[in-house]
Amino acid sequence: MKRYVLVRALYSVVTLWLLVTIIFGLVRLTGDPVAMKAEAGADPAYVAQLRHSWGLDQPLHRQYLGFVSRLLRGDFGHSFEKSLPVRDIYFERLPNSLKLGFAAFLFSLALGVPFGMLSALKVNSWWDSAGKMVALLGLSMPGFFVGLVLIIIFGIQLGWLPVLGKGPSAVVLGEPSTWITFWFRDWAHLVMPAFALGWYFSGAMLRITRSGMLDVLGSDYIKLVRLKGVPESVVVAKHALKNSLIPVLTFAGLNLLVMVNVAIVIEVIFNWPGVGQLLYDALSNRDFPMVQGVVLMSGLLIVVLNFTIDVLYGYVDPRIRLSR
Amino acid sequence: MATIPIGADRTLAAVRAARRGYRVLRGLPIVPLAILALLAAVAVLAPVLAPHGKLDPVKPTREQCLAKYSTPDCPYVDNAPPFWAAGGRLDTPLGTDSLGRDELSRLMHGARISLIVALTGTLFAGAIGTLLGVLAGYMGRWWDEIIMRITDAWLTLPSLVFAILLSSVREPGLWNVVLILALVFWSRYSRAVRGEVLALRERDFVKLAEINGIGKLTIIWRHLIPNVMNTVMVLFSLQVGVAVIIEASLSFLGFGVPPPEPSWGLMMAQERESLMEGRWWLEVFPGACITMLVLSANMLGDWLRVHLDPQLRNR
Amino acid sequence: MVTLAFAILSALTLTCGIAWGQSAPSQARPILSGPLAKLAIKDAQVATSRGTPKGTLNIGLHFGIDPGWLDPLGYHGAALQFYYLVHDALIKPMPQGEFTYSLAERAEVSADFRRAAFRLRPGLRFQDGQLLTTADVKWTYENYRGLNFKYLQEKLEHIQVVDDRTIIFHFKEPFLDFLDLYNGSGSGIGWIVPRHYYERVGKDGFRARPMGAGPFKFVSQEAGVQVSVEAWDQYWRRAPGVKTINVKAIRDLAARMAGLETGELDVAYGMTGKLLQRVMADPKLRWNPNFTAPWHMVFPGYNEPSSPFHDQRVRQAVSLAINRAFLAKQETQGIAKPWGNWISHETRDALRGDGTDLPVPPYDPAKAKQLLAAAGYPNGFDFDWYVPFVPYFDMAERILNDLRAVGLRSKVQMLDAPAYMAQMSKGRKGFPGNRTIVQRIDPRPGGAKELIRLYAVCGGQASYICEPRIESLWAKHEASLDVAERDRLSREIQRVVIEGYYLVPIYLQPFVHAVTQKVLPEGEAVHRYWDTQNAPFPWPWEVWEVKG
Repeated sequence: MKRYVLVRALYSVVTLWLLVTIIFGLVRLTGDPVAMKAEAGADPAYVAQLRHSWGLDQPLHRQYLGFVSRLLRGDFGHSFEKSLPVRDIYFERLPNSLKLGFAAFLFSLALGVPFGMLSALKVNSWWDSAGKMVALLGLSMPGFFVGLVLIIIFGIQLGWLPVLGKGPSAVVLGEPSTWITFWFRDWAHLVMPAFALGWYFSGAMLRITRSGMLDVLGSDYIKLVRLKGVPESVVVAKHALKNSLIPVLTFAGLNLLVMVNVAIVIEVIFNWPGVGQLLYDALSNRDFPMVQGVVLMSGLLIVVLNFTIDVLYGYVDPRIRLSR
Repeated sequence: MATIPIGADRTLAAVRAARRGYRVLRGLPIVPLAILALLAAVAVLAPVLAPHGKLDPVKPTREQCLAKYSTPDCPYVDNAPPFWAAGGRLDTPLGTDSLGRDELSRLMHGARISLIVALTGTLFAGAIGTLLGVLAGYMGRWWDEIIMRITDAWLTLPSLVFAILLSSVREPGLWNVVLILALVFWSRYSRAVRGEVLALRERDFVKLAEINGIGKLTIIWRHLIPNVMNTVMVLFSLQVGVAVIIEASLSFLGFGVPPPEPSWGLMMAQERESLMEGRWWLEVFPGACITMLVLSANMLGDWLRVHLDPQLRNR
Repeated sequence: MVTLAFAILSALTLTCGIAWGQSAPSQARPILSGPLAKLAIKDAQVATSRGTPKGTLNIGLHFGIDPGWLDPLGYHGAALQFYYLVHDALIKPMPQGEFTYSLAERAEVSADFRRAAFRLRPGLRFQDGQLLTTADVKWTYENYRGLNFKYLQEKLEHIQVVDDRTIIFHFKEPFLDFLDLYNGSGSGIGWIVPRHYYERVGKDGFRARPMGAGPFKFVSQEAGVQVSVEAWDQYWRRAPGVKTINVKAIRDLAARMAGLETGELDVAYGMTGKLLQRVMADPKLRWNPNFTAPWHMVFPGYNEPSSPFHDQRVRQAVSLAINRAFLAKQETQGIAKPWGNWISHETRDALRGDGTDLPVPPYDPAKAKQLLAAAGYPNGFDFDWYVPFVPYFDMAERILNDLRAVGLRSKVQMLDAPAYMAQMSKGRKGFPGNRTIVQRIDPRPGGAKELIRLYAVCGGQASYICEPRIESLWAKHEASLDVAERDRLSREIQRVVIEGYYLVPIYLQPFVHAVTQKVLPEGEAVHRYWDTQNAPFPWPWEVWEVKG
C-alpha cells in the first residue's frame, strides 16, 4: 500500500511538473505583454524598464527556473495587468467562484436528484423519457445561451433580478465578519448565474441518480427489504435513496470543483468577478503570471483530488493497488 | 429434420435479413438523424440555399430606406424586423442584424462553420489520440509512461480553459479553432484507447501474430486499430457535441472564429445588445441552432454507445 | 532618444496676460532670479464655503481596473481619472485650463528653460494628516518609474529643496517640455506620493491601499472589479460634493446599460455603440457626447512602390469612398462629427478639421472610382487586411462596405487588444505586405506636436509616414526657438499630412457618457462636468454632486 501511494504521489508530482511546463511554454507563445501596457509611442526606456521589472528580458530558461523556484515557495509572481501578487488576487476572487459554484451545485442537486429518482422508479415511462430529454437538453444547451435567455426574461423583460455582478458583499481579509455574511447576502444576484451554471450539471446529475438508483433497486439488499414487507415508499425513501446517494454525492463533489473551473462563460456573461472571469481578463490582456497562476491553481486542485481518489480507491479495493 | 426446398432457404434468409434490417431501422434514432441530415444538407448547400450572402448587407428597397433614414437611397438597413413583426419582409424572414445582413443566410452558413470545425476538430483529435493510445498501450514501458503522463497533465486542464489558452497562441481563424479542438481533445481518446489495447494485447490473435514474426507496425495497423474503432466511434460521436459547444463558447468569448464569419456563437456575442432592444430573435435563433445540433449529436452518440460499445452496453 | 523639443511656449504665451489670482503676498513673490519664461497657468478655484459631502456615486467603467492605477509612480497612460480621485499634483489639467494650479500656488520656469521652481500652498497635508512638503515632491520625482521616466531623469541635474514649500529643479539643458510632462498628463511624475507611507507599506502595500493628497480617501478595492473611495473633507480646494464613489468595472455594454436603467449605476462610460439610441431615448438619462479624437486610417508600407496605396490617388479614393455621414448615423446616431484632421479639436495647436482650417472630407464614390481607374485599377483591387482598433469591428465592417462599393475589397482582421497594440508598437514591421489599412485613434492629452512626432515623422514610434517634405519641416521645427515659427511649422506639417492623404481622417469619435437623474445638477447644466479640455473622462471628481 505504501508503495502504491508513493507511486501515485510521484505520478501526481510529474503531472504537475508537466502542467507547469506546458503552461509556461504556452503562455509565452501568446505574445508580448509589454506591448499592452506600453501604448504606441511609449518611450523605449520605459518599455525596457517594464520588460526588466517583469523579468522578460532574461533568457527563457532563466525565466523558467525562476518561475519554478518561486512556485515552490508559493509565489505566483505579480500580475502584469492588476499589479498585485497573483496569489492575493486569486484568493480574493475564489470565494466569489465558490459561492457561485455552490449555488449552482444546489440547483443541480435540486433539479437532478428528484427527477433522476422519478425516472428510476418509473423506468421506461413518460417520466423517464422526459427525464432523459431534460438531461440531454442540459448537456446540449451552451451555458451562455441559457444565461442570455434568463437575462432576457428575468433581467430585462420582467426586471426581477439584477444582471450586474455579485452585489456589494465581498470577503474582506481584514474583517472576519464578512467571511460569514458574504455567503448569505445578495442572493438575488446569484439566482440567474447559478441556475445557468447548475442547469448544465443537473443533466449529468439526473443520469447518475437514475443509474445509481436503478442499481440499488435491483440489488439483493433491496429485494430482501421488500420481501420483509416494508412498504414501497419506505423502501425508496429510506433504503434505496440512502444508498444511491453515495455515488451521487461523490460525483457532485467532483462537479463542484469542475464548476469553479468551467464557469468562465457564465461569469463573463453575468459580470461575476470569479476566477473564470479573472482568467478571461488575464488572457485578453496577456497577463502571463495571472494566467499561469489561475490555470495552475485549477490544475493543482484537480491533481490533488485525483490523487486523493486514487488513494481512497486503493484502500477500498485491493485489486487496484495490486494492478500496478 | 424436415427437408426444405433449396430455394426456400434463400428466401428465408432474405426474410430474416429484411426483418433484421427493419429492426435496426426501427431502433435507429430517427429524429436526431433527420436533424443532423438537415443541418448537413444546409451546411453543404448554404451558398445555394441562402437567400442572401453571408457577409454582404441586404440591398434595401426604396421604401425601407425612406422609412428608416428618410432618404431614397441607403447602402443597407440594419436591424430589420423578422417577417412576423410589423415592417418585416419575407425576403429577409428572420430580419437583418446590426450590420444589415440577412440573419437566415448567416444562420445557414453558420451551420457550415459549426459542422466543419466540430467534425474535423474531433476527427483530428481522434486520430492523434487513437494513435498515441495504441502506441502507449501496445509499446508499453517508456512509451506508455511518457504518453500517459502527458495525457494526465493534459486532462488536468478544464477543456474550455485550455482551449482559451491555446486560442491566444495563434492568429484567430477557423482552422485555428480546429487545431485547438484537436489539441484539447486528443487526450480523451488516448486514455480510453490505451485501456482497450492493454486488453487486446493479451488476446490470442495478437499473440499469434507476434509469434509469426509480424512487425509491430503491421500489428498496430491491421489488428489493433480496427479493434478499437468501436470505442473510438462512440467517443467521437459524444465528443462532437462537446466540440460544437466549445467552438461556440470560444467564438462567443471572442477567442474563436473571427468576424465577419457567421459562427453561431459569435453571432450571439455580437448581438448581445440587441437583447435590450427586444430583438430576441437575433439571440435565440443561433442559440437554438447550437442546441439542436448538440442535442441531436448527443442523442446519436447515446444510441451508438448502447449499440457499439460492448462494455458500455451493459451499464 | 529623439529630442522632445515641442514646447509649451506657444500656448503659454498666448495667454500671458492672465492675472495671478488675488495676489496673496506669497503667491506673488518670485522664487527664481533672472528673467522668466511666460507661463499661462490658471488659478485654482478654491471654494469659499466648505459643503458637506453626501450621497453615493456609482460609476460604470468600460474596462477592468488595475490597482496599479492608484500608484502614480508606475504611470502608464490609462490612469489619470483615478489619480484625480486619490491623488493631487502641483499643477494639473482642470476645467480652467490645461495648466491649472493645484498643490502649487506658484510655478516659474527660467527664460532659458534650465530651471523650474514651485511654491506649494501653505498647510498642505496628506490624507493621514502628515504634512505634504517639498521633500515628498523631490522623492516622487526621484522614484518615479512610469512613462517617460528615463527622459525626465536624464534631463535633471539636481533638485534643490529651498524650504518646506519651495523647490527648484535644475536641468542639464533647456527642458522646453518640462511642464507638459509635469502637469500630470504626460507622465505621473507630477502627482505627489507620500514618501513616509509608501516606504512603510511598500509598492504592493501602496497599490493595495493607496493614499495621497487628493479629494477622496481610498476605502477598499477588489482588484480589477471595483474601487471605493470616500470624501476627504480636509481637501484644500473644497470638500467633495459626494460622500462615496464606487468605480465598477463593467466591460459589457449591455450590462452598463442595464445598470443605468436599474439605478445600480449613476454614471456609465463608453455608451457609444449599439445601445446609444436607447440612451438617447431614455428620458431619465442625460448624455454627454464627450468627443475624444478623430478616427483615422493609415497605410503601413504605402511608401513602397509595390503597395497599391503608394499612389496618392488611391489613398484619396479611400477617403472619398467613405460615407462619413451615414457611418456616423449608423455607429453613433449621427453625433460623430466628420473631421478633416487626425488630431483632436481640443488639442493645442491643432488645425480644425471642420472646414475652418481643413475641409471636411467629402463623400464621392464616383470620383473615387475615377481616381482608381486613373491609378490603374479600373476594377478596384483586393488588399490583405483592414485592421480596426479593438473592439470597433462593426465600424470596420461598415467602412469595408463603403470601400467595396468602389472596388476595394478586403477582410477585417480581428485582433484582440494586446495583439493590436503589439502590431502597432512594431511600427512598419507590424503589418508586412504593404497591403493593409489600419484604423487608429489617439486621444492623447498635450499638444499637436506630440502627435506629429509620433505619427507623422519618419522614425516616430507609431509612424508609417516617411516624407522628405515633412522631414524638412520637422527639422526646421526642431531647430527653431521662435515660438511663432514653430507653431506655423506644426500647422504646415498637419496640412501636408492631410493633403497628401498619408492619414485619412474619418470623424471625431464621441465617447458618450451617460448619467442618471440622481446626478446633480438637474437638466443640461450637468455638462459642466465635462468642461476639462482634451480629457476623455469627466474630472475633477470633487465637484460632482448627487441627490442624497
